[in-house]
Amino acid sequence: MDAARVGIITFPGSLDDKDAARAVRLAGAEPVALWHGDHDLRGVDAVVLPGGFSYGDYLRAGAIARFAPLMTELVAAAEAGLPVLGICNGFQVLCESHLLPGALLPNAGLHFVCRDQRLRVENADTVWTTEYREGQELVIPIKNRDGRYTADRETLAELASTGRIVARYLDLNPNGSQDDIAGICNEAGNVVGLMPHPEHAVESLTGPSTDGLGFFTSIVKRLVNA
Amino acid sequence: MEWLGELKSDADDPELQPVDPSVTQAFEAMLEEAKPAKPAKPGAAPPAPQASPQPLVPPPVVVPEAPAQPQPVIQVDPAVQATLRAAQPLPAETEGPEQEFARALAEEGPADPAITLADPVTLPNPGLNQYDLNQYDLNQYDLNQYAPPPVGSGTGPQPAVGPGTGPQPAVGPGSGPQPVLGTGPIPAVDPAASPRPSGPGTGPQQAVNPGTGPLPALGTGPLPAVGTGTGPQQAVGPGTGPQPAVGPVGPGTSPQPVIRPGTGPIHAVGPNTGPQPAVGPGTGPQPAVGPGTGPQPAVGPGTGPQPAVGPGGSGPQPFAHPGPGPQPAVGPGGSGPQPFAHPGTGPMPVVGSGTGPQPAVGPGSGPQHVLRLDSGPIPAVGPGTGPQPTVGAGTGPQPAIEATGPAYYGTDTVAIAAASPERPQPYAELGMNDEEYRRVREILGRRPTSAELAIYSVMWSEHCSYKSSKVHLRQFGEKAPKTDKLLVGMGENAGVVDVGQGWAVTFKVESHNHPSYVEPYQGAATGVGGIVRDIMSMGARPIAVMDSLRFGPADAPDTQRVLPGVVAGIGGYANSLGLPNIGGETVFDACYGQNPLVNALCVGVMRHEDIQRAVAPGPGNRVILFGALTGPDGIGGASVLASATFDEESHQKRPSVQVGDPFMEKLLIECCLELFNEDLVVGIQDLGAAGVSCATTELAAAGTGGMHVDLDTIPLRDETLLPEEILMSESQERMMAVVTPDKVDRFMEICARWEIPATVIGTVTDTGRLVMTWRGETIVDLPPTTAADEGPVYNRPLQPPADLGALQSDTPGRLTRPSNGDELRRTVLWLAGSPNLASKTWVTSQYDRYVLGNTVLAMPENAGVVRIDDDSGLGIALSLDGNGRYTRLDPYAGAQLALSEAFRNVAATGARPLAVTNCLNFGSPEDPGVMWQFARAVEGLADGCQYLGIPVTGGNVSFYNQTGSAPINPTPVVGVLGVHDDVRRRVNMGLTTDGATLALLGETREEFGGSEWAHVVYGHLGGLPPLVDFKAETALASVLVNAIRDGLVTVVHDLSDGGLSQTLVESCLRGSLGARITLPGDPFVALFSESVARAMVAVRPGAEARLAALCESAGIPVTQIGVAGGDSLTVTGHGPDGDQQELFSIPLYELRESHERTLPSYAD
Repeated sequence: MDAARVGIITFPGSLDDKDAARAVRLAGAEPVALWHGDHDLRGVDAVVLPGGFSYGDYLRAGAIARFAPLMTELVAAAEAGLPVLGICNGFQVLCESHLLPGALLPNAGLHFVCRDQRLRVENADTVWTTEYREGQELVIPIKNRDGRYTADRETLAELASTGRIVARYLDLNPNGSQDDIAGICNEAGNVVGLMPHPEHAVESLTGPSTDGLGFFTSIVKRLVNA
Repeated sequence: MEWLGELKSDADDPELQPVDPSVTQAFEAMLEEAKPAKPAKPGAAPPAPQASPQPLVPPPVVVPEAPAQPQPVIQVDPAVQATLRAAQPLPAETEGPEQEFARALAEEGPADPAITLADPVTLPNPGLNQYDLNQYDLNQYDLNQYAPPPVGSGTGPQPAVGPGTGPQPAVGPGSGPQPVLGTGPIPAVDPAASPRPSGPGTGPQQAVNPGTGPLPALGTGPLPAVGTGTGPQQAVGPGTGPQPAVGPVGPGTSPQPVIRPGTGPIHAVGPNTGPQPAVGPGTGPQPAVGPGTGPQPAVGPGTGPQPAVGPGGSGPQPFAHPGPGPQPAVGPGGSGPQPFAHPGTGPMPVVGSGTGPQPAVGPGSGPQHVLRLDSGPIPAVGPGTGPQPTVGAGTGPQPAIEATGPAYYGTDTVAIAAASPERPQPYAELGMNDEEYRRVREILGRRPTSAELAIYSVMWSEHCSYKSSKVHLRQFGEKAPKTDKLLVGMGENAGVVDVGQGWAVTFKVESHNHPSYVEPYQGAATGVGGIVRDIMSMGARPIAVMDSLRFGPADAPDTQRVLPGVVAGIGGYANSLGLPNIGGETVFDACYGQNPLVNALCVGVMRHEDIQRAVAPGPGNRVILFGALTGPDGIGGASVLASATFDEESHQKRPSVQVGDPFMEKLLIECCLELFNEDLVVGIQDLGAAGVSCATTELAAAGTGGMHVDLDTIPLRDETLLPEEILMSESQERMMAVVTPDKVDRFMEICARWEIPATVIGTVTDTGRLVMTWRGETIVDLPPTTAADEGPVYNRPLQPPADLGALQSDTPGRLTRPSNGDELRRTVLWLAGSPNLASKTWVTSQYDRYVLGNTVLAMPENAGVVRIDDDSGLGIALSLDGNGRYTRLDPYAGAQLALSEAFRNVAATGARPLAVTNCLNFGSPEDPGVMWQFARAVEGLADGCQYLGIPVTGGNVSFYNQTGSAPINPTPVVGVLGVHDDVRRRVNMGLTTDGATLALLGETREEFGGSEWAHVVYGHLGGLPPLVDFKAETALASVLVNAIRDGLVTVVHDLSDGGLSQTLVESCLRGSLGARITLPGDPFVALFSESVARAMVAVRPGAEARLAALCESAGIPVTQIGVAGGDSLTVTGHGPDGDQQELFSIPLYELRESHERTLPSYAD
């Protein structure tokens, strides 16, 4: 059969789009470039919103990208079950779009933080995490300025009780996120937001590990088996 | 080893001898100063009337006579200028921008008489240098024409002041026929309630009475008075006749109209209670602005006399822009913030007093500014209750002063310049000396226009022309080793090197030192932005950045201001661009306390066929400016900030530092790559220092020699910018391209897709002239090569610093050394935690090292390594190194030691060194001691590169890095680029394999001059730096490259600052694995000496013999020093009694604590 097609949206200011494409390719799928200004998802089987500083993060991270033309189609498709992974700025866009609850505030230390971060996978049942096992520990780079996940108490309780916390930081919490949250998903489990960058942990040559590849192979296997 | 074949191996080479500082000599060429190669100065050359600071006379100001003449150079601090601008009358010619850097130049002073101008030009000097008010021909200006703006005073409400309601002055002869202002009373106001008809026409127009409805737009004839009204009032359109008074009679309660520019006299703006109108630029006399209680209007630049700004309203008062005409009086204070008054070259106004915050010129109850005069008659300065300005003061209400009504010059066109050869010009303020100015006149056959003077002044500035450094930098070319790897050499925006497989790499480092001290975040951020655009302009995709930073002592309060800002700025900009930061250095030393060094490097890649040049060939081709809009950013920045010596006034330069928009730059990168990909440009240039001036001049000079530019087409963020300001603006994120006419449409489409403004601003010609028009008049007409390539060249005097002998005689031999295991242990920990050797994670964790997914090694590794080709593994390595202490002790050797270290670092990853870039940070070239250091350093670097067989591809010179008369330690920062045929074979520096044999390659001598040990433990700097040994360095590099390629070693870490001790600390902590070390010889020397050409390696089990053979064939001593393993660093060696014993053991956690806590403890 044809390879699964995974779209990667480029907004003005997206930075890790090519890296996400490389990860998709390494996972065995075909990366498809999507342009923020189009109204066309080009029939992809899943979408990655990459990291970066869309629109310079002006106003608020993700706040402007959320209004990009393509987001209209994306939101509708995601609500209909299209697998969507938002990484870093992509996570911020998903929160701004209300596909995921909560918000990402400036890091507690007020600095941009780039480090190799230990994580624990808390939910291995989402479409993006089936290649992991619950409790598995990963080392994946984190690099952001606005990564402090924040939500109201009820939301946090709901996320925790319904297994929607996908990953938590281990050791030092790099940004002061509530409940050490590194990633969450929506109720259906098809939309996942992650602050760490799994696309930068797919080759031992350039990453601290290859632990990030599982996010991409998870979706590829699912699509192939679907 | 084939690459070594090209290297010399003459052991008798003088460089290999111990360096005798007094014998060592100079080196070569590079680049500029602190910035991109563009000149920065603003330019216009307004003549200022002037003079030396005149004694400020109390209130009554003498009306200058003919103000219009250029003044002698008065330096105005840029910040002050900014504040003054509004208040001062503008002098007739250019004004503003140049003055900003003028002060810096003034500090520099005229060229030292001892300096020889390489290409002296003699021109009869009609006495232009002397400025004396008596020079002004009073007859030329009829003072009576001007209605003196009365200026009130006092602390209470002030009466309306303004020429607007009285007879208006005629405008004197200046730059052509000028309109005469109406001298009659302004029409009475006739209140009415209906909207008024507009009366476009060419004749006198009707008075517009105040009313409650919208008022009409006006036409081109003399315009009517606009009365007060209670409703929104209408904009008053541009007209060619006298323009109306705006409600001078009665206060209005609503926002009042905008007054557009007109060519006729413009009217007074009356008091009202609402926001008041902006007064646009006009060529006629401009209106008085009355008091009001709302925010008051901005007063735009005009070429006529400018208005009086009336006594205070209660709202914020207006900003008055500079104009070439007389500037307005600034009335006594309102209770709101008062305006900034810009300096001008015309007569200066009387300034009253007020109770609110006051403008730059004029006393008030708030803190007051220093009043710097530039060109016109000096104003009286009124009383105030706060700190008073340096010029004039009073304690009582001040009398109204008669206004000065000097003549003004309008736009300085080529025709006017030709017709007024005697008009004095402020070239000295612009940093030009007499000879340079004469030469410009000779080139043009007339005096330059103010815009031309601006262009020449920046293009011939040190920053852009390398006039002091050029004679030395030539060595980089003359001594360049023969190589076919250099695709583009020095002279372009950046050199380009062939790295094989069809790929080319371009890289360059530049300084942004002075701006980063003034405004750390933006200074550093725009430094990154500038070097990235340099790389883009070669046609390359930028793939990584590095930064070499130097600050004052880590615990100094100001370092805690500058360091976090600089780091956040570099990170904030490069992270937002999506460029990984792969390495650099962070050094602390008291000599950088008030002059930090911020050197940023960018590297880019392209296919060979994609190399672009900064040329403008092909008559008829279009010149397109694209990127950010042009605003009043950093006008004068390059000259002021790059050349000014830091002092207590630096804070006043804040407005001169540009502000970056990395998001726009990111779009520009992607847009440019698409443009290149479709082959849409025939030439491209980034805009850096001196903006449009530099880009057009350089493009034209490198092309068919001619270009026509219409300055009116340049999209502005601030429409009040004068042409000279447009030329000099350093607004960031702009590029200029030359495009064939048939490709313009497609070019525009791509820019639109990235939402980047793009405008055709001119056309390439074959006339050999750069011609610029503004408002329909030709203001620039010059041969571009004379500005770009034929600037002055100086052979400045050289003399070793007087204290050099004493410094070199004060060797570290007198310092007490640690003598037992415990003292050695403490010394290891002390050094590991000293600011220069401590972990820089606090810095580097703020940089994205992963983005683009090709970073193989990044700091703190030996060098940054980036993959270029995913499939073949082709990649590059880069290291950036410098040592100011070594260079202080011996500039020739110091530069070579920086080269040596960078060379070693690149080889330590397994890369073959290929090419060199550099950033030469020095003090003032006018100091013979500094110039000697520079000459010696350049010579050392050129000789070193010649020996090593790697060419210098480009670089940057930054002079005037000093505080007062104290220069920084001379600090050449050298970047070496190496190539990896396959980055997968690289090695890193962290010990990870338990049981691996550790070996030391190279010879250790007792060398402590300038060492970290002497610096950290004793604060000592003296003696001579380590011996330079390029023969050993090349041999070591060949061993490392081959051993890594063949898999003989698994870990390599070079030895440099801090010696073996620091190497062990870093390698153990990097891999979280301890080591058991046995030191040969004197333990102290073995641990802390900084001898060159050494590295520590971990040998792959079983490869010991092959490595030994490799070293032997290369003549590199190899010593087994221990084994990796355990969780502590344990060191054995000769004890005080000469017996072999365990000297000390340090658990890794203790080592880590010492190494890693230092920076956060200072910086957070």
